[in-house]
Amino acid sequence: MVRDIRAFDDSRAAAVFLAPTLAVLVLFLYYPSFETFRLSLYETLLLGQQTTFVGLDNFVTLATSPEYHNSLFVSFAFAAVVVVGSLTIALFVAYQLYRVDKWRSIYLVAAIWPYALPPAVAATVLLFLLHPNLGVITHYIEMIPGVEFDWFTNGPLAFGVLAVVAIWKQLGYNIVFLLAALHNVPESLAETSRLDGVGSLTMLREVYVPLISPTLGFLVVMDTIYAFFATFPLVDLMTSGGPNGATNLLIFKLYRDAFEFNSLGLASAESIVLFGIVSILMLAQLKLTGEYAHYGA
Amino acid sequence: MAVEDSSITSESATVGLPDTLWVHLSLVVSIVLMGAPLLLALLMSTQSTAQIYDVTNLAPGGHALENYQSALFEYDLARYIVNSFVMSIIVVVGKVSLSLLAALAIVYYDFPYKDAIFAFVLLTLLLPVPVRIVPLFELMADLGWANSMLAITGPYIASATAVFLFRQHFLSIPSSLVETARLDGVGPIEFLVDVLVPMSRGMIAGVSVITFVYAWNQYLWPLIVVSDQQKQVVQVGISYLQSASQAGQTQWGLIMAGSILALSVPLVVLVALHRPLLETFALQQK
Repeated sequence: MVRDIRAFDDSRAAAVFLAPTLAVLVLFLYYPSFETFRLSLYETLLLGQQTTFVGLDNFVTLATSPEYHNSLFVSFAFAAVVVVGSLTIALFVAYQLYRVDKWRSIYLVAAIWPYALPPAVAATVLLFLLHPNLGVITHYIEMIPGVEFDWFTNGPLAFGVLAVVAIWKQLGYNIVFLLAALHNVPESLAETSRLDGVGSLTMLREVYVPLISPTLGFLVVMDTIYAFFATFPLVDLMTSGGPNGATNLLIFKLYRDAFEFNSLGLASAESIVLFGIVSILMLAQLKLTGEYAHYGA
Repeated sequence: MAVEDSSITSESATVGLPDTLWVHLSLVVSIVLMGAPLLLALLMSTQSTAQIYDVTNLAPGGHALENYQSALFEYDLARYIVNSFVMSIIVVVGKVSLSLLAALAIVYYDFPYKDAIFAFVLLTLLLPVPVRIVPLFELMADLGWANSMLAITGPYIASATAVFLFRQHFLSIPSSLVETARLDGVGPIEFLVDVLVPMSRGMIAGVSVITFVYAWNQYLWPLIVVSDQQKQVVQVGISYLQSASQAGQTQWGLIMAGSILALSVPLVVLVALHRPLLETFALQQK
């Protein structure tokens, strides 16, 4: 690849072109992030009017808070369910899209549209369709003898409903990437490893999945970040973290601590924990993309 | 070979369906399942509250006009949609312009600490909104930006991903073009507008779709920074509809109409521009 083309010499011009981007990044990304670190060492009282330096007290509070432990556990469990569920379904659909002989572009658009689905809309629509009293889907689910689909009061059910909505919304994104990865598999490679007389799903598992594993790794990271952050509207609109904290994801707890209870220092400490989680995930992804480039070459 | 071929045929024959039919069937079933909640929402958006409360009634209700009109004008969704649209367009135009300029500098100029500056841009991937949400909110208050279009667009108009994608694309443009431009004494802005932009149409369209959908679907940040209902975006606006009730009964038909409206804009954008989107994603993967 060509590097350092150097069409122009005046490095002051380069500075001018970079300045707007750097200014926005410094003002709205770096500066507030450093402030988060600083704030996490303070306790805020009286709606933020008064702050006291408390060192690592906020982190100690988090480390010893059963409520925070619950949120940590719920968030990781939620991410695991969403990642596995969404990738499994998306992999199946993408594989069928890859193999289909005609009407491919119609199927494609009909399968990737959830990419455009706003999480708030997904939450509102399923809040209604799965409503314990009014939901038409609930009505048919409860026709199974002995099943009571009251996820407003049943924690594990609420967790499951939220996971279904999160999986649904993320299918479009995953299908797009998996389909691209399948098309990147060299025909000859799949051909030589074609197993005689095996079913198509065995082919997918034994041949294609190992070949597209770098993309799968990338998606595990992106979907985990999605499950941690982008699912806020789902919790806010569907469960408000309940019942009994069963869906109190870290992002929702952070929002309430900051903007309902005005514990700005504690909320900042929670932000720092999230920063740690994102950093680890992104580092893993960087490693994976490196391997992907190696595989491509 | 012939033996192997016949074994494959006989295997799929025992399943009962030819392989291609199985592919079509499973695609149709998957797509119907994925689309079902939306189709039901569309159907319910035509029903009156009384029809909604008759749970098993799945017939079109004939109250579509009423529901959509009420959502748009009585509950102000039209205003929120306009707000969302203005916000998304500002973010798209701002982010694409700023990122094109930054990529121009990074690819076609030589300057000290170039790699460090590029790394500085990329490192912001570690700083999503939840990591800086409290100080960012305070910053908006200090700047006097709360409840303004600036607050919901400003923090989003620069992006590591867009700079990265444009940089990748510029690097793949033949250097002979650059040489020609250099010999002709073309200035950098002319070069960007006359050469790079026309050669990056697909990439610009792709980044625009990604950015538009991302901006339109924002919920948490507008919820926090916009408290004046008049200035609110549509994603938060649909939650205002939940207060719509008649004689203690929630008007779900109206809420479904609002949901369909809030989805329709990014859906149209995606369907219209799905090709450049797919190409951009393919590049992002490399």
